[in-house]
Amino acid sequence: MAIRYLKKHAALEGSVSVDDAESLTQWLQRQPAPAVHLGKCEHLHGAVLQVLLALRPKLVAAPADPLLAAVLRGA
Amino acid sequence: MNQTELLEQFVIEARECLEAIGARLLDVERDPTNQELLNDLFRSVHTLKGNCGLFDFKPLERVMHAGEDLLDRVRHRTLDYSGELADALLDAMDYAARLIDQIERSGRIDDGADAQSIVHAQALRALFDSVTAAPVAVVPAAAAAPAVAVSQAAPDWLARLEAALLAAHPAATAVRYLPEEGCFFKGEDPWRLASTAPGLLALHVDGRQAWPEGDERAAWDCYQCNLDIVLLSSAACAALEQHFRCVPEQVVYHQPQPQPQPEHQPEHQALPLPLSTEALDADTDSDPAQATLRQRAAQLWADQCALLARSGLSAGTVQATRKTLHGLLAAVDDAASKVASAELDAVPDARLLAWVRQQALQDQSLLADDPAADPAAVLQPADSMVSELPQRFEDSSGGHPHKVLKVSQEKIDRLMELIGEMVVAKNSLPYLAQRAEDVFQQRELSREIKAQYAVINRIAEDMQHAVLQVRMLPVGAVFQRFGRLVRDISRKLGKDVNLVIEGEDTEADKNVIEPLSDPLIHILRNSLDHGIETPDVRRAAGKPAAGTIRIAARQESDRVLIEISDDGAGVNPVRVRAKAVERGLIPADRAALLSDDDAVQLVFLPGFSTVDTISDLSGRGVGMDVVRTAIARINGGVDLRSVHGKGTTLTLSLPLSMAVTNVMIVESAGRRLGVPMDLIVETVRVHTDDIHHFKQVRTTVLRGRIVPLRALNELLALDAEPLANEQGELAVLVVRIGNQNVGLLVDHFQGASDIILKPLEGVLAGLTGFAGTALMGDGGVLMVLNPKELL
Repeated sequence: MAIRYLKKHAALEGSVSVDDAESLTQWLQRQPAPAVHLGKCEHLHGAVLQVLLALRPKLVAAPADPLLAAVLRGA
Repeated sequence: MNQTELLEQFVIEARECLEAIGARLLDVERDPTNQELLNDLFRSVHTLKGNCGLFDFKPLERVMHAGEDLLDRVRHRTLDYSGELADALLDAMDYAARLIDQIERSGRIDDGADAQSIVHAQALRALFDSVTAAPVAVVPAAAAAPAVAVSQAAPDWLARLEAALLAAHPAATAVRYLPEEGCFFKGEDPWRLASTAPGLLALHVDGRQAWPEGDERAAWDCYQCNLDIVLLSSAACAALEQHFRCVPEQVVYHQPQPQPQPEHQPEHQALPLPLSTEALDADTDSDPAQATLRQRAAQLWADQCALLARSGLSAGTVQATRKTLHGLLAAVDDAASKVASAELDAVPDARLLAWVRQQALQDQSLLADDPAADPAAVLQPADSMVSELPQRFEDSSGGHPHKVLKVSQEKIDRLMELIGEMVVAKNSLPYLAQRAEDVFQQRELSREIKAQYAVINRIAEDMQHAVLQVRMLPVGAVFQRFGRLVRDISRKLGKDVNLVIEGEDTEADKNVIEPLSDPLIHILRNSLDHGIETPDVRRAAGKPAAGTIRIAARQESDRVLIEISDDGAGVNPVRVRAKAVERGLIPADRAALLSDDDAVQLVFLPGFSTVDTISDLSGRGVGMDVVRTAIARINGGVDLRSVHGKGTTLTLSLPLSMAVTNVMIVESAGRRLGVPMDLIVETVRVHTDDIHHFKQVRTTVLRGRIVPLRALNELLALDAEPLANEQGELAVLVVRIGNQNVGLLVDHFQGASDIILKPLEGVLAGLTGFAGTALMGDGGVLMVLNPKELL
């Protein structure tokens, strides 16, 4: 399970594949105050990254990968 | 057919395609709304692209692919045709023509072409990118940039990288990577590609278009790639090119301080020889007399090479060449040439040319390895190598034994008609001889006329044969390249496929064979893509893991039949119905009424495709309708039979058109009729007592088998009974129809004859039961039967 949808945030863990992009989009759009937890995220597919950049959910925890963290912060 | 012949054919076809594209482009420019023209243009580009796939001509394929995508949009009205667009396409086609020239000369594309092809492909893509993604102003700029698309001026996107970082790494390369919109569907991960770039220093990701706001969010498509990635890398430009090698047209490089680019000008790579000649000339300038001598010697050496390269050399010529070579080596007069001179005597005649060239080559490499070596010793042969090479190119194009003469079809047709007339005129000579004997009692003259007739007959037959040979091609000429095609595609799809080809010697008119290539490729691709299942699925279905595609050609009376069968999944009538309705090709209620067999035929509807995504194999809707129209154009028919789960068989039935047919001439009710010889099993005489009557049916027993008999008069609605001879025997012509023998009752047999079968045309076209007509020697018209239709 790459994404666990919790009550307050979605936890993206391990390697998040392209297939998860759609469900994440839908979940984020449903939430009044969307938030994601990337603390345990090792890799994001480009499509998922695009979802995060487009919908700008609140970051509960930044990813370990400094490059990814910088990109998400910069957007 | 070996690889070289395949390549030759590719070059010829590619040229034709390019010609057609060029002409069509101009036509379309005149009439941009004509859908037919656009489709035709698209098809030509599509074909050429497909042909490139047979060989490893990436640069060419890339350009054609870009052109195809562009035209696809024009075709579907998402992009307007404009003069600008035509210019770009024509430019790209000119470039493709240059590549084809290169391929013809050397069998491959020079390395320098890769970068240039990217420029062309980008120029084409820029045309539709500028419509779909307005803010991308960089791409046209890059298209105008030289070879590797390293732009010189700092582009605006550079500002997205931190200025401090840029200052800290002045030599670093900045890269802008704009993944195409559909890249997620191709299994690409732009983020991974960018984040794993070598020597990565910084990365910035943004939306190509503004991210959606408010209500737009609901309709936003998360699988439409909108990423715009800019990165800074300390790695060499070449390493980055290597990293982004799969998406070269989506990447723009920028080096703040351009390094000197050694040898990245394609012109120099393509023609290294003139360069080195200059270098050599510079070396030899010091001694003008010596230089002239060497130049002359080189010229002579090259002449000898050209002489030896000719075919059909006489022993005397070879001897003379040897002498000249000796003289040349003596004139140079140094250690190396003495050794060579001694060696020359030992070389056998057959290897002489190779030796002369090798000698030149060796010295060339020596020169390259050690520029300080005594120039006098090596310059002469090396020089000769330099001037010899271009000459060899001339040889291969000009003095090649396989000269191709392009003659228009009409001229051959005219020739064929004339020969046909001559055959008819010639055939009247025996009648004349008969008359000389019967009427004028001139036996001697009659014999002489017959002797003359024999001579003219032989020549006429040879002539006829020769002209037919010009027009006839074995179907194998088209089949041969399928081996490679099937292998490549099956590998790409991860399927295991055996291709079995039968009857490739079957010959048919050039007009019939040549247009077959495209439809057959489409059929094969369909079989591979949709027909044959993957090995796992096949095993699960209890079939052998490897699928089989069989192409069998055979002649049947006046038709050539080509059968393409596979043992794959077959056509699913339910799915075909659903797809046809979904695509709006037929109304749903009508689809439901169709029988399964009829539903299968829906695949022939224009625009039909069961695949939703466009791959390089199928899904563009250029499908079975194209096959059908292409076959119909040569008066052929396509028959599709498919058993779901078992496989599909497509039968192409093609006319032979102009061909000499061997017929048996029979007489029935005072009329002469021809029956194609290939259908005849035997001719026998059967006594009337041996014919058994059972109600209206007559049969006889031949070699222990019952053969049904039909009177030809009856079949042709002629009111006469078959004539029996003095012994009360009837003439029976046994013909094979399908797998059964049928006896035709006729009056007399008149022997066999070669005729030029002309298909029934005009008012006669509707006549069934006849294959065509032929003109006989005495001026009479022979109707040739088609027993299959008759019975």
